[in-house]
Amino acid sequence: MKTSKLLLGDEALALAACDAGVKAFYGYPGTPSTEIFEAGEKYIKFLNDGRVAEWAANEKVAYEFALGTSYTGYRSVVTMKHVGLNVAFDAFINSAITGIQGGLIVAVADDPGMHSSQNEQDTRYLADFANLPLLEPSTPQEVYDFTVKAFALSEKLKLPVVVRLVTRLAHSRGEVSVLKTSLKPESIGIPPISEKFSWVLVPSIARVRYKELRRKMPSLYEEAKKFNSLQSFPSAKVGVITSGMGSAYFYQYKKNNNISDEKYNHLNVKAYPLDMDLLHTLVKISDTIYVFEENYPYLEDMLIPYCNSKCVVRGRRDQTVPVDGELNISLIRQALENRQLDGKVDENLFTKISSLIEIRPPKLCEGCGHRDTYQAITTALKNIGIDDPRIFGDIGCYSLGVQPPYFGIHTLVDMGASLSMAFGAALAGMTPSIGIIGDSTFFHSGMPTLLSAAKLKLNINFIIMDNAIVGMTGQQAPVASDVAPLIAKAAGFRDEQIHLFTPLPQKTEENVKQLEQIFQRDEPSLIIFKRKCIIAMQRKLYPLEKKDALHE
Amino acid sequence: MNENLTYGLVVAGVGGQGAVTIAQLILGAAWMDGYHVLQSEVHGMSQRGGEVSAHIVFSKDPVMSPTIEQGDADFLLGLEPLETLRHLIYLKKDAHFITSITTIENMENYPTSENILSLLKSIDGVKMIDSDQIAKEIHFSHGANMTLLGYASNYLPVNGEVWDKVIRERFASKGEKIVDKNLLAFNTGKKLINNENFVYQ
Repeated sequence: MKTSKLLLGDEALALAACDAGVKAFYGYPGTPSTEIFEAGEKYIKFLNDGRVAEWAANEKVAYEFALGTSYTGYRSVVTMKHVGLNVAFDAFINSAITGIQGGLIVAVADDPGMHSSQNEQDTRYLADFANLPLLEPSTPQEVYDFTVKAFALSEKLKLPVVVRLVTRLAHSRGEVSVLKTSLKPESIGIPPISEKFSWVLVPSIARVRYKELRRKMPSLYEEAKKFNSLQSFPSAKVGVITSGMGSAYFYQYKKNNNISDEKYNHLNVKAYPLDMDLLHTLVKISDTIYVFEENYPYLEDMLIPYCNSKCVVRGRRDQTVPVDGELNISLIRQALENRQLDGKVDENLFTKISSLIEIRPPKLCEGCGHRDTYQAITTALKNIGIDDPRIFGDIGCYSLGVQPPYFGIHTLVDMGASLSMAFGAALAGMTPSIGIIGDSTFFHSGMPTLLSAAKLKLNINFIIMDNAIVGMTGQQAPVASDVAPLIAKAAGFRDEQIHLFTPLPQKTEENVKQLEQIFQRDEPSLIIFKRKCIIAMQRKLYPLEKKDALHE
Repeated sequence: MNENLTYGLVVAGVGGQGAVTIAQLILGAAWMDGYHVLQSEVHGMSQRGGEVSAHIVFSKDPVMSPTIEQGDADFLLGLEPLETLRHLIYLKKDAHFITSITTIENMENYPTSENILSLLKSIDGVKMIDSDQIAKEIHFSHGANMTLLGYASNYLPVNGEVWDKVIRERFASKGEKIVDKNLLAFNTGKKLINNENFVYQ
């Protein structure tokens, strides 16, 4: 009987947290981090011993939920994708200064290669900037082991600990040996009387707390050192630094090609901040050092000033590895051997295949209401003489409306930017100004703009594509539903400025007519296109009691 | 397969076809057969009708990379002909691959299926299977992938006896009828190795 399980990297993190006695999972969905929370929710249901899992309206709120749970002395995990940490950054950086009580893990999944993101930013810089420790596992097993250790480390240092995953780890399924016993969540108590005011970051206290954070730094280096290792060989003149998936690919490259470990001095980095002694030693014994990391040249940039003229650094800075995109074994072989494998596809076959292959982009589902919404909007604009519309878009399934035949959005920057950019454009004279956003994204970061808009006397149009679910990331329940009109009214919108539409093919003609009117009014409009997600309906995810006339 | 080497397999298809399910079955079978295993899956946006692929790596030694180097895969299972072509780049020179012959033309500039199939036919190591037709004949319209997997199982260095258990476990929650249909599709595909009517080379 095996004591191990087959788990995604994301699932391994959730299970480890449960086994380490976590009380709560918080987060906001975002590929590739979503399954951490979802697995946690599943395990919690199974354990049924008083733990909680709660999606928040956005990552900042989720982070603060976790910080509050930590204050009560319980362990918690907050999950998000890399760009989610930007949203949570204020809470993140200040929680380093307050410190924590119960262990707090910040599980962040980066997306090198931008499989489903707008950038490929590297979370290691953000942890560095906040003076927080970061663990970087390479396999689902390490995700499990590091997560268990991270809670103890967090409570020892009294700091949040970041566990950084990347897409290829978050969504890799592999064997994981797990602990035989699982701890029950237990509180270590609220901060003692002596620390009663240390979480109050008024300047006089914040100065003291910040000094305290700086005083902890040597301990951070000490703790990280325990994870990192340098293997050196007298015969080796070439050094290699790897971290995260770079370590995994480098191991497999050597394994698959029967390359002896002794060929390279190898610094394997799994935790940060990195102790300079290890870099110093590696530089002393190597003529050339290759750096394979995912995915910004973070370690490489630390190494370059150390190397000086003593050795040559090969990595992303000198284009030995491309400066953007994901790492893989081919890139490591190219760097070390300057060649590729001769596979089945030779030059001749490659030419033939290339002439046939076209990209197959993802698209809005057949029968999805977003299609009818885009159809209505673009047709209405055309009918009132706008042949080249510019519409501010946002992040969700409906981002796919950028494609033909709709060409329905012309910006996508960050969560909520559709409405605020439409606001800025309207103030600068664009008319009509239109922002399109989903219901979950509206709750995430769209609401504040709605509050600012009521007093305007400008032709600004906020369109919410409301399917009462977080569609793109796997149909999670949103934090609220049906409240946008109420908020708008409370903020000063009159009933005539709020419009509800049903995006169905048979309604398109009628919807177009009304939109033509709305798009020509010199006042703000809130336009809600409301219809259930067809995938969620097929999966029977809408609870029956939530059924109402508008969600048919 | 050499005992200490790593076996790499690619499953390729279109979002919604079930490529990840097929990959997980292969992963489970290799694991049950005593290998160390690792698999890279695609989640999120690409699942909306875009290209979807999974890499499966297994070995008697520990495995750390969930993805396969281009030119290093031992086998490719293509659920859709254009996706088969797209992922051929991963295959070793002498590797076999199998592909469905039913195209999914959900994009504007899809090449003609004749061109795709005739190119596939000309490549060494190909087995082209009319899996949709087989699924029809066994009255299981969703059975095409399992048929391909059954056929593929003849080529994989995995003990043939583990499949039955892996398939049963995977579909158990959907009821005995679905389990039996999937087993039928798998076994029908497996036996095709002796029946060239559905296999075009």
